[in-house]
Amino acid sequence: MMFTLSQIIFLLETLIFLAAVFMHLVHKNSSLISLYRVQSFIVCIFIFGSAIVTSSALLMFVGILIFGVKVIVAPYFFTKLIKAYHVKSTSSTYLNGPTTLLVVAVLTGLAHSHYFQPLTTLVGENPDGLLLSLAAILISIFLLINRKGILSQMVGILSLENAIVSFAFLSELEATPNMQIGIIFDLLVWIIIVYIFAGMIHEKFGTLDSTVMNNLKEE
Amino acid sequence: MLNLISAQFSFFLALLLLAIGAVGSLTFAKKDWLANLWGNGLAILASVSGLVAAVKVLIFNEAFTYTINSTFSNLSLSLAVDKLSAFFVLIISLVAFLSSIYGIGYVKHFYNKYNLGVLGFFYNIFLVGMLFVVSAHNGFFFLIVWEIMSLASYFLVIFENKENNNIKAGSLYLVMTHVGTAFIMLAFLLLYRATGSLDFSVIKANIGNASLLIKNLVFIFALIGFGTKAGIIPFHIWLPSAHPAAPTHVSALMSGVMIKTGIYMFIRLFVEILSGTELWWGATILIIGIISSLLGVLYALTEHDIKRLLAYHSIENIGIILLGLGSAMIFLSLNLKTLAALSLVAALFHTLNHATFKALLFMGAGSVISQTHTRNIEEYGGLIKFMPQTALYFLIGSLAISALPPFNGFFSEWLTFQTIFSGIQIPDILTKSMFILAAGSLAFTGGLAAACFVKAFGVTFLARPRSVAVLQARESGFFMRFSMAALALATLILGIFAGSVSKIILGAVNNLTGFQRVSGIFFTQKQTFELSNGFAAISTPMIFVILSVVLLLIYGIVKILTSKRKVKIGRTWDCGTKLEPQMEITATSFARSIVIIFKGALKPSKQLEIEYRDADMRYFPKSRNVELGIVDVYRFYFYQPLRDLMIRLSGYAKNVQIGILNVYIAYIFLILLILLFVQS
Amino acid sequence: MTIIIWTIQLALVPILSPLFLGVLRKIKARFQNRVGANIFQPYRNLWKLFHKDEVMSEDASWIFRIAPYLIFTITIILGASIPLFSTWLSNNLLSDFLAVVYLVALSTFFLALAGIDVGSAFGGFGSSREMTLAALTEGGFIFSFLALSFLAHSTNLFFIASAVSVLPLFSFTPIVLVFISFVIIMLCETAHFPFDNPATHLELTMVHEAMILEYSGKRLALIEWAAANKFLIFLALGANMFFPWGLTAQTDAWSVVSALGIFVVKVLILTTFVAILESSIAKFRFFRLYDLLFTAFILSAMAILLIL
Repeated sequence: MMFTLSQIIFLLETLIFLAAVFMHLVHKNSSLISLYRVQSFIVCIFIFGSAIVTSSALLMFVGILIFGVKVIVAPYFFTKLIKAYHVKSTSSTYLNGPTTLLVVAVLTGLAHSHYFQPLTTLVGENPDGLLLSLAAILISIFLLINRKGILSQMVGILSLENAIVSFAFLSELEATPNMQIGIIFDLLVWIIIVYIFAGMIHEKFGTLDSTVMNNLKEE
Repeated sequence: MLNLISAQFSFFLALLLLAIGAVGSLTFAKKDWLANLWGNGLAILASVSGLVAAVKVLIFNEAFTYTINSTFSNLSLSLAVDKLSAFFVLIISLVAFLSSIYGIGYVKHFYNKYNLGVLGFFYNIFLVGMLFVVSAHNGFFFLIVWEIMSLASYFLVIFENKENNNIKAGSLYLVMTHVGTAFIMLAFLLLYRATGSLDFSVIKANIGNASLLIKNLVFIFALIGFGTKAGIIPFHIWLPSAHPAAPTHVSALMSGVMIKTGIYMFIRLFVEILSGTELWWGATILIIGIISSLLGVLYALTEHDIKRLLAYHSIENIGIILLGLGSAMIFLSLNLKTLAALSLVAALFHTLNHATFKALLFMGAGSVISQTHTRNIEEYGGLIKFMPQTALYFLIGSLAISALPPFNGFFSEWLTFQTIFSGIQIPDILTKSMFILAAGSLAFTGGLAAACFVKAFGVTFLARPRSVAVLQARESGFFMRFSMAALALATLILGIFAGSVSKIILGAVNNLTGFQRVSGIFFTQKQTFELSNGFAAISTPMIFVILSVVLLLIYGIVKILTSKRKVKIGRTWDCGTKLEPQMEITATSFARSIVIIFKGALKPSKQLEIEYRDADMRYFPKSRNVELGIVDVYRFYFYQPLRDLMIRLSGYAKNVQIGILNVYIAYIFLILLILLFVQS
Repeated sequence: MTIIIWTIQLALVPILSPLFLGVLRKIKARFQNRVGANIFQPYRNLWKLFHKDEVMSEDASWIFRIAPYLIFTITIILGASIPLFSTWLSNNLLSDFLAVVYLVALSTFFLALAGIDVGSAFGGFGSSREMTLAALTEGGFIFSFLALSFLAHSTNLFFIASAVSVLPLFSFTPIVLVFISFVIIMLCETAHFPFDNPATHLELTMVHEAMILEYSGKRLALIEWAAANKFLIFLALGANMFFPWGLTAQTDAWSVVSALGIFVVKVLILTTFVAILESSIAKFRFFRLYDLLFTAFILSAMAILLIL
């Protein structure tokens, strides 16, 4: 069986989407990080693939960079966070399991609805993939909303970023390597800042749970 | 020499001088006397320049316009000074001129206490704002300068910020004036929607196409918005607190001139731009005029804070001006243009008159307050012996505001009466009854105002001093006396030369669109004013001349005939006891009869506490405590429920900000989805 | 001849007013079963007062000194501007009814100020009562004249007089209403029953007398004379506005004399009417008076609605 390129890409995109969905379901923080690692790896594959296709050394370099930052550095920082502040599990959510999945399903349906059909005219080959990456974006944002722990919210943002990169890749918009470099740099800085920020929050509130942050100001 | 200076030049010179005065005051703030002299002195020069500009436009027909265009057609700086604007510039300049002279003497008692540079700065900016407001020709520019004027006056109101009451008064004023501005903005937005432009001339040309609903809505919003500034009932609650709080020369300006800018926009919007087409517009304004004049004077009767009393009289006089304006609009809607012009002349003349005598009265009150350090009339008395000139000028102001001949108030009320009489002759029974009501209210207002000023002048200046504070009062300084004398003379001259002044005002009215060929409503000959239909005629200089001549004659004859009689000075008849200050009439008791007669409208309250010598027997009282008060009807029934509603609604709105981070992110997500949907 | 007529017009009111005051008092005395003073007694009173010295309060200011002159001046001017016996003398300058009303208000203003000026308890409350009544009277005063001026299409008193004399009969009802309202106003302004008792000095009942309590000597004479003038002015207005027959337009001696005679007769009838009224009703309580004044106002307003 010959798999066409678009089918492989669609498969990989599905994996990204599924990773985003699973992030809603796992309880342990380390699992979250692993899922994120998987997502980042797939995005790396995308970049490498387009580097090979366009024979661009710069893009190859960017791919390696992405691999380094997203697959190695970012998870390392987060595991350090987990060990330092002992946030092993993060099962606290606002909505319970089934309702979460319901919302995920609704968001996916939304992404495939006729509102977003015009987007598919952007890309001829892989319309479903595009809509799937859009759904991944929406689901990642929902992760932010649903989770109480700050760590999950940070992972949610990272997964959002992954989904946006895959969206951009699939829609073949602006595939310049310079942009990718910019994004990576931005991400690196963000991770450093978040690491420090998490430290500060833990220092002030004693926990990384966002429910205590109701009164941010001295009354 | 006058021909060399054009009106446009003098107008801009005035603005420039005021700007220099503002900035200069601030830089010289360290030296009190320099800041005082600079701020007020430049305002004096600027007002002279403004007067020249106004005179040139009114008498020499030099109306001008000035525009600075920008790329956005609605953001242009556009001025148009036609005769109506020039008339208001005249009022502003005249009162500013004399207030600034008064100010030089008056602000001396702020030395070393408050920052006079700030006072000079905001005073000049206030004048700039007012001058621009009456000459702006573009809606957007108008809103900017309206806001400048309101903000400058707010800072002037809270200038004496060590008193807590002043801050409260300022906050109330700020809120009310911004509520008014919001309504004005709504009105302008509606006009923009209907005609596609904010320029007044464009709006005027295109408004005929707008639907009736839009015109009615514009009328209502503009009525509330400008009415709040003018102080009509029930939007007047800021006036009695804000005018006393400001320094006296600023109160004179605010009361005499700033509230008239609301009247100016009424005329500009309703009579000129919207062409006053609906009968019920004029009827509403007439009824508001009736209510404001009667209630204003009734509340003034209950006051014994002299500045609050004068503030309520401003409300009453705005009511009288609105009577003239309302009749003008009714006549306009019935296409009786000659009568409408007559009513407008009456309203505008009363505007001018009120500016002069109200400024005079405020200045007199300010002099008295600065000498006795209290605003309570009940503590005055006998001041005529300590401040004779101030007393004389205050008397002239009181005579003018009570519409007694031969001063100017008499003539403008006479003219307002004439327009209402013409209105009574309209065949429609509903309009006829409204005009009869208006005539009745004007008649009663005149009488009640006279009663109130007998009380104000009599209790303040006559009889014996009621407190020791009076005993150290001295006559006011030269500058204060000069400006009061000038205003007193102005009231007399305006009264005597009323014929010529009404001709000039008629010229201003003729300048409005729609009134160009209207004339011949009245004619004057040697200051005898006569209506064309022969209904009425009056000659104010004659009254003055005959009064003075006969008075001198009688005085002379009696003096000659009784030259041998002696006059012995003795004590007032005291029924054999010692003369105490408590024996004199107090302001409260003077007005008490009227308050009781009108208790339906005023709702006076009385609390009586008696302490008996023997609590069981309750026969011999040891002490009695009586507390008389007036329920503030508007606060209680109108503004308090509104405020409670707003607070309740805000409480509900507060629940949006829960404090949970995830909810906020959910908000962002929702908006994102909605935006995505809407865009697609 | 013109000069003689003008002189008569000017001097008529001050000369005749004490006479009518005397007649009024005589009739009231007769009703009270007394002989009463001579009808020329007011003249003698004035003569006596002019020949006495004055005592003035040390608290009084120049307003107290000037007020009597001003009030008397105003009554003289008013006397000269209203139609007394001749319609020939219509002057536009002062015969507008609004000018009359406001000149009366001016004299009341200064009288009230003079009452406060001396700082006695009587003067104060007298001024308060007087200003309350004056404020409420003005409405009815203006409206009664207004009704007549709508009938005559002019606000000039002389034109009104000549117009009323030729009115057809069906404008009878409004004129009666206006006359009743005018009588009420007249009683109030001239300080007679039921508004004020001109012969009392009890603090419970004085209004006008309270304000002039401190005056003596020539100033008191002027004020009393001015009060008498005001009474005659109102009587003349009532007589000549509502019963204007007898006003002459010619200037020859015979018509002038006969017009004067008719005028005296009319005013005498009205004086008798006022005297009878004063003798038959009591003075009202102060807080019942405003009802009466509002009634006068409403009667005139109804008359206006009927006329137009």
